[in-house]
Amino acid sequence: MGISLCKEPNLENPILVASWPGIGNIGIIAVDTLRGMLGAEEFGEIEPWDFFYPRRVLIKNGILEYLEFPSSKFYFKRAAGKDIIFFIAEEQPTEGSRIYAEGKKAYHMANLVINVAEKFKCRKIYTSGAAVSLIHHTMKPRVWAVPNSERLIQEIRRYENAVLMSDIEGRGKQGNITGLNGLLLGVAKKRGFEAICLMGEIPVYLQGLPLSYPKASKSVLEVLTRSLKIEVNLDKLDELDQRVQRRIEEFYQQIPLAIREQLDRLRHVVYDKPVGPGPITEEEKKKIVDDVEKFFKKRGEGE
Amino acid sequence: MSQGYPIKIYSEPDLSQSSLVLGWSEDAGNLGRKVTDYLNRKLKGQKFAEIELEDFFPLGGVTIEGNLAQFPESKFYACQELELVVFQSNPPGTEWYKFLNSILDVAEQHCQVKELYIIGAMVSFSAHTSPRQLFTVVNSAEIKEALNQYDLVGDMNYQTPAGERPTLNSFLLWIAKRRNIPGVSLWVPIPFYLSATEDPQAQKKVLSFLSERLRLEIDFSDIDQEIREQNEQLAQARSLYPEIDDYINRLESNLMLSEKENGELIKKIEEFLRESA
Repeated sequence: MGISLCKEPNLENPILVASWPGIGNIGIIAVDTLRGMLGAEEFGEIEPWDFFYPRRVLIKNGILEYLEFPSSKFYFKRAAGKDIIFFIAEEQPTEGSRIYAEGKKAYHMANLVINVAEKFKCRKIYTSGAAVSLIHHTMKPRVWAVPNSERLIQEIRRYENAVLMSDIEGRGKQGNITGLNGLLLGVAKKRGFEAICLMGEIPVYLQGLPLSYPKASKSVLEVLTRSLKIEVNLDKLDELDQRVQRRIEEFYQQIPLAIREQLDRLRHVVYDKPVGPGPITEEEKKKIVDDVEKFFKKRGEGE
Repeated sequence: MSQGYPIKIYSEPDLSQSSLVLGWSEDAGNLGRKVTDYLNRKLKGQKFAEIELEDFFPLGGVTIEGNLAQFPESKFYACQELELVVFQSNPPGTEWYKFLNSILDVAEQHCQVKELYIIGAMVSFSAHTSPRQLFTVVNSAEIKEALNQYDLVGDMNYQTPAGERPTLNSFLLWIAKRRNIPGVSLWVPIPFYLSATEDPQAQKKVLSFLSERLRLEIDFSDIDQEIREQNEQLAQARSLYPEIDDYINRLESNLMLSEKENGELIKKIEEFLRESA
């Protein structure tokens, strides 16, 4: 169980950007889009067989030719005068029936990623994922940013459209980050690496749908590229977002009118400064969440 | 074990060039369990090792089957004179790679295993009166060639469909390939209405191949008797219940039944066999 490198690039204090699937695939779409646009080159992987059950077998003429596992690969690229390592995993290692990484395997994988960061003397690590929020799907998602070091707080305050936990209404500087995103941030801290997790907001009523949410991936990518001082063209992400938004609208119209009217009120929320037909109280927010949960529960039972 | 795998060895078998036959509990027709039980009973297999459970199975309680509390087992048996090792186990719920490597560690380090045979059943929508075929998937061209002389279907082309995962047998075959152990995955189609009970014809198909290939010289008169008895019971069910006969007639004519009819046939056959027993 370990890391297999097919080449050892000569990198100068690179930045490590890591991602894997999660709610709305927000992080992985953002990071993989950037990797693709920069044309980063694969240089290694975490050997998968101890972490994952295989996902495809190929048998030809009675001979087992190939067994395919979810991949967890490293890529590198020099862009805008800085070296970047990408770590992109196709699945999170899970135990039992859990969806997101937890337990010994996840901890081990997080440590293997940090081993690579250590080997190449990375100076900073970014992870990315989703922040489930009371927002409407027509709004531009913010990016919740969580650093693992006090020193990074001022840096995050300079990011446009990014917020710290203390800036999020009702959070009181607190929260938690599940899965590998949180674990990697913690393991990085334990081993002396500065790291920031960037989480794009996704509407609470979309979190359970099998849809990606590229609108939030774009927000994450905007923050990430500005932080890295890299310019990229995000038109492809916009196109993907437009296609997904059409499907979201179709789904939205199937939500019962009474609940939809509640959700429509979220269109008028400008984060902690509600405008329009009237402020949404905490009690009303709770009712919206309860109604949405009940709707999905009923829908799930019906199916 | 070299990598600290959780294995208990009770005695060292005296083997120099053995074959490992592996069967899982809980497959269709209980095939893996039945075949490995049969081999152990007929060939006087002696338990010599087992894999410890705690890393691989959810141990939050017991399941109850046939009124009996069940508990997972992963045991090795040796038939020394025949250079045969039998492994019988419940399929692990987690840590598959570690579990499958543990099996091969015991096989290589304690039994000098040279070949691996994995038993598998697949549910078939055909009648019990159709002859059973034995499909094989191998992990090298050399072992494929060595099997040419047997009555096997060894030209399968397959790719895991979207939304599904490979079987544990494929995973084991792949690990064996990485460890240079020639391996064969054996697959017998079992009529769907026998998949929750048992199918002695399928058992005999696998056992006959193993007996011939591994020179076990097994006398199958007992299993032949079981086949005759089951065939008589099924013939009786057909004569007593016209709808059962109609469903099986249609299957014999290669016609598909509806989902509802499949369910009815399963229920009626299972009830009839249970009452007959």
